Amino acid sequence: MNMFSKAQDAPKSQAELIYEAQARKERKFRANVGLSWFILLFILVFTFSGQSFTIGSITFGGIKIDTEFIANNLAFIAGGLGETIKISLMSIVLAMILALLAALGRLSTFPPIYALSTFYVSLIRGTPLILQIFFFYLALPQLGILLSPLFSGVLALGLNYGAYMSEIFRAGLSSVGKGQREAAIALGMTPTQTMRRIILPQALRFAIPPVGNEFIAMTKDSALVSVTGFAHELMWRSVKVGRAQFHTLEALIMAAMFYWGMTLILSYFQNVVENRLAKGDR
Amino acid sequence: MLPIVKISNLDKYFGRLHVLKNISLEVPEREVVCLIGRSGSGKSTLLRCINFLEEPSHGSIEVDGVKVPEDAKGAERRKLIHDVRLRTGMVFQEFNLFPHMSVLENVIEGPVIVKGMDRKQAIELAEKNLNHVDMLWKKDEYPMRLSGGQKQRVAIARALTMEPRVMLFDEPTSALDPELIGEVMNVMKKIAFEGMTMIVVTHEMGFARDVADRVIVMADGGLIEDSKPEDLFNNPKDPRTKALIDRYRAEEQ
Repeated sequence: MNMFSKAQDAPKSQAELIYEAQARKERKFRANVGLSWFILLFILVFTFSGQSFTIGSITFGGIKIDTEFIANNLAFIAGGLGETIKISLMSIVLAMILALLAALGRLSTFPPIYALSTFYVSLIRGTPLILQIFFFYLALPQLGILLSPLFSGVLALGLNYGAYMSEIFRAGLSSVGKGQREAAIALGMTPTQTMRRIILPQALRFAIPPVGNEFIAMTKDSALVSVTGFAHELMWRSVKVGRAQFHTLEALIMAAMFYWGMTLILSYFQNVVENRLAKGDR
Repeated sequence: MLPIVKISNLDKYFGRLHVLKNISLEVPEREVVCLIGRSGSGKSTLLRCINFLEEPSHGSIEVDGVKVPEDAKGAERRKLIHDVRLRTGMVFQEFNLFPHMSVLENVIEGPVIVKGMDRKQAIELAEKNLNHVDMLWKKDEYPMRLSGGQKQRVAIARALTMEPRVMLFDEPTSALDPELIGEVMNVMKKIAFEGMTMIVVTHEMGFARDVADRVIVMADGGLIEDSKPEDLFNNPKDPRTKALIDRYRAEEQ
């Protein structure tokens, strides 16, 4: 130990040592998690590689997938990405509007509005999403409402997510303390001004991270819209080419990779936004 | 002289609890009134009835000539209450600054949104009042980054910028660390000496003694004593007042 050559450096304090030990531990944990992810990914890839190996008398073999089919149809399936994103974006916008209205409706003291809000949430949450997608697709034309199949899917998704997300906005609204409302009305603000200027901005800020989560979930549920057969998004395309060429498994694997990649990217941005908000630059 | 605040036969119930019992009170212009009393005596509720943060169960309130009679209903009542609120400024125990707005935005919010004042003019007025409470240097900060005392001073500036006829203070220093009470008290003294009519609910007996023109003691939903501070402190009439004063003296030792 060269205790003497370093004598001019101030000795590290107890707190610093503890902090460094903790940081080391955390780094090690992250490195191990990363390594484990890599191994899991390797196993996953191996499973579909068609390769096999033998330990003793037991042979482990992967599923053989047709890489040529993948290469030939990658572009076609990827072509559904845009549609998937389009459906998700339109649906989330619709869902946010409906969720906000439903949450505000729950605050209403006017019975019909309160009833409308609770009726909507109850009905939608009480029935399966896939049923709703079929239902809108089949029912709207009979009512004389002719939407493109894509829009009827968006309508179903938006209505469904709106019902669930109304809880998020409700929590956001109730997260704003009653002192805020009192301060606003003491200044002479009307209830509408108080809601628009004071309560909503704070409630929406509260709701941003959970709405991000819902959006990520929605990109995957948008696959359900493919059941009507007219929205040519990822799922529909993969099922179509898979069936046509008897390679459904390969096609689904491709779609799965696209969905997974999409959610990874969205989760990354979600984290960035969440950290920003957590840091409290408000 | 016409009183700025006139409370007549005010009753307030919370459920079955009778918290204010037939209270009548007049506060003339430029007077500083301190409301003291133990917690639960109804002093905050009385203050909050003046600008209708609490709806009185019976009785009428009049602020600067705007009377809200007991039998006013619906839209007419809302209009009168709005007019009363425009004439009163309120400062809360918990400050209640708007966390999503900067200090300056907090202060101009009322004039711009409620009074429809031109933004430039509102900023000018806000900066004058922020300077007055010595918070102009923090005008672009967000409330989160301010100390309690600084928040409360901004809250005072926010209320002043609405140019009220009377300022209501609801325990303005109760949520503050002891070393921050002084800076808020000094600002309150300053605006008191400038002639603002003030009604202050407080536990700060020192402030009541030094600044108030009149101290009102409340107990069990009633006004049990209403006198000049020197009389109250030297010669309390009610035993409950005497107990309050004695405890204050003991703490001061």
